[in-house]
Amino acid sequence: MVAIIVRLKLTLLRNALRRSVWRMVGLIFGLVYALGVVLMAVVGLIALRWTSIELTADVTVLAFALLTLGWLLLSLLVFGIDETIDPSRFALLPVRARDIMPGLLVSGLVGSTGIATALVAFGLVLTWARTPAPAMAAVVVLPIGVATCFLLSRAGTAAFSSVLSSRRFRDFAFVGLALLGMSIGIGANLIGALVGSDFQGLRVVLAKVAAAAGWSPFGWAWAVPADVAQGRWLVAGLRLVLAVGFAVVLWLVWQHYLDRRLTEPVEASRRTGRIRGGTVIERLYPATPAGGVAARTLRYWRRDPRYVAGIAGFLIGPVILMVVQVSNPGGQRLVAAFAPAVLCWLLGSSLAQDLSYDGSALWLHATTGMRGADDRVGRVLSTLTVFAPLVVLLIIAALVVSGDWTLWVSVVAVSVTLGLTSLGVGSYVGSLWQWPAPPPGSNPFAKGQSGGLPALAAFGVTSFATLVLSLPTVALVIASAWYGALAWLALAVGIVVGLIVLWQGIVRGGAMLDRRWPEVLSAVSER
Amino acid sequence: MMDSSSPQPIALALTGLVKRFGPKIAVDNLHLRVRSGCLFGLVGPNGAGKTTTLSMATGLLRPDAGQAVVLGHDVWSDPAAAKALIGVLPDGMRLFDRLTGAELLRYVGLLRRVPLSDIVSRSTELLEALGLAADASTLVVEYSAGMTKKIGLACALIHAPRLIILDEPFESVDPVSGEHIRAILRGYVNSGGTVVLSSHVMELVESLCDELAVVAEGRVVAAGTLDQVRAGSSLQQRFLDLVGYTAAAEEALSWLRSSSGSS
Repeated sequence: MVAIIVRLKLTLLRNALRRSVWRMVGLIFGLVYALGVVLMAVVGLIALRWTSIELTADVTVLAFALLTLGWLLLSLLVFGIDETIDPSRFALLPVRARDIMPGLLVSGLVGSTGIATALVAFGLVLTWARTPAPAMAAVVVLPIGVATCFLLSRAGTAAFSSVLSSRRFRDFAFVGLALLGMSIGIGANLIGALVGSDFQGLRVVLAKVAAAAGWSPFGWAWAVPADVAQGRWLVAGLRLVLAVGFAVVLWLVWQHYLDRRLTEPVEASRRTGRIRGGTVIERLYPATPAGGVAARTLRYWRRDPRYVAGIAGFLIGPVILMVVQVSNPGGQRLVAAFAPAVLCWLLGSSLAQDLSYDGSALWLHATTGMRGADDRVGRVLSTLTVFAPLVVLLIIAALVVSGDWTLWVSVVAVSVTLGLTSLGVGSYVGSLWQWPAPPPGSNPFAKGQSGGLPALAAFGVTSFATLVLSLPTVALVIASAWYGALAWLALAVGIVVGLIVLWQGIVRGGAMLDRRWPEVLSAVSER
Repeated sequence: MMDSSSPQPIALALTGLVKRFGPKIAVDNLHLRVRSGCLFGLVGPNGAGKTTTLSMATGLLRPDAGQAVVLGHDVWSDPAAAKALIGVLPDGMRLFDRLTGAELLRYVGLLRRVPLSDIVSRSTELLEALGLAADASTLVVEYSAGMTKKIGLACALIHAPRLIILDEPFESVDPVSGEHIRAILRGYVNSGGTVVLSSHVMELVESLCDELAVVAEGRVVAAGTLDQVRAGSSLQQRFLDLVGYTAAAEEALSWLRSSSGSS
């Protein structure tokens, strides 16, 4: 069974690569990146051999506990789990969860993340290969630790998604996870600032944190070689038992959810009831094709978790920037004042992926013979409706936080030029290329929910082009530090340049859609 | 209506359509003419190219060669005029399903530039006629497969098109709703509209359509009125003859027969 499932995974991967150039490029990037990280980690681990046993113990325990925690958090928050082999597909076959679990485990580790983790874990053997005993211990805990990483991500996402199987909960979960990510970002920044101020304190903090990590479930396995090296045999034995026990519990939890999935493969409970009729949205826009698109996309900003998560995602950057600069004694108040510009800068990237999110439902736009420009205008309108109030609030908050109200002209100039330019560039890039995105409401933890490499490329191109086109305004704002009156000129230039880019983006993007609807349709629905 | 002596304008003319997907030729020099005021059935086995053909006729898929003309307007050189005349129900494509049924109809109406007052009255009537009135404010994502088909049909009708092109409109629709849809289509054709629908249920085509075409391997192998195509035998038998069905040999799948089974 193990061999069959692993071969199935390899076949599926090969066929997927054959069908899509993007995946091939993505795989190569992933491999190069993983190789770099693995090399650095292994070199670092080998270098630890020239330090004390205590330091090695603290560093390895903390690092590997974080790696294990990372498997859980990253699969929940960022990457999702690799569902190349979807367990629900086995529902019609006469197999029980325990028959396919070894195969799923091995095939799940056959992938850049799994292999990279195994290689880094092998570095642990290298670093402890000073005396035979800890080296042996490292060899023993290697499979336990790696298996724990994998089982954590599976059991964790399975438990989570069963709690979240209703659409409404899922929407909340997206926002909740985004907020969690935001607070982790802020927290890490604060700790970094705290520790950075006192280098001597670092060693003490490290020892304490490592001790805590070693006694957390994430560190049990990885701490065993360190205990052996320090001659604490009893503790080593205890942690080994705990580690094995933890892996077994995770295995059983995973088995429980897998059994459920094999008997009830249909996810997403239906029937959440009626939607309260909101005619406000309909009165907000004119009764034209563009107004229709605006009203529809505005509803999607509320009802499609991918957009809801997008709002949270856009706010993370500026909020972190403001909180960090203000809570830090040495923070730059000036930077906090310009934080809203970051939000404006990102606005267009949502337009750049709008069409892909719509997926094959776009046949409607293609068959109605509507003008592409109407499609573009509608989406710009709804994005403005969602974000213009947020930007205004953020600007006021930023000025309050910075305590320098005279900056308002400059802040508004930079925000407006970045915002309008970004919307224009996004309108153009969005019609330039599209990719197949998973439909809303599919398993939120499945891989590729974020769109993968093409989404990243669209984001990169949009934000880079926006920045380049906004340079004149930004330059004028910088110059206004010496000649204050230039800020007003920057505001005027920013509005004019922004409007021109927006207009051009809509006209050119729309014209491209008029020519390319069938191609757009095949790009978003290709699987 | 069945009078073929008086020449009626052609509602849909497909000329030499070709579509290749890699090495596979999905549609191979296909010709088809559909009179105005006709309920036209397109039948063929799986993979015959029905959906591909209808996609090229509605502007969803660019043909490699050939023309699709709707009431004198070329779909690919004069798309806006042609598309304004067609109502489309594709198969296997998503809808904007985070809208409620009523919101979706309003959206389609706006995209089609239907006056607002007409959108309101027509969607109420359509939802009523298709038995969706009770679910007008439920998200389309929560509709069953049959309900999704019906709301899709309503979307195809809201701008009162001259030609409707429906891909598998009766699939997963229950018999009662099916009867409603038949009545709507019949009434529409009797008032001068044209319907082109694809199906692989012969009985349905036989009882509903005025004319039909049999498609196999991307070509039209027979076309005309029901009686012309049937040529004396049943449509089912004629269809099997046309697409080249041969009964499996006696010994095929013998292990599946429980009488001869060993275990």
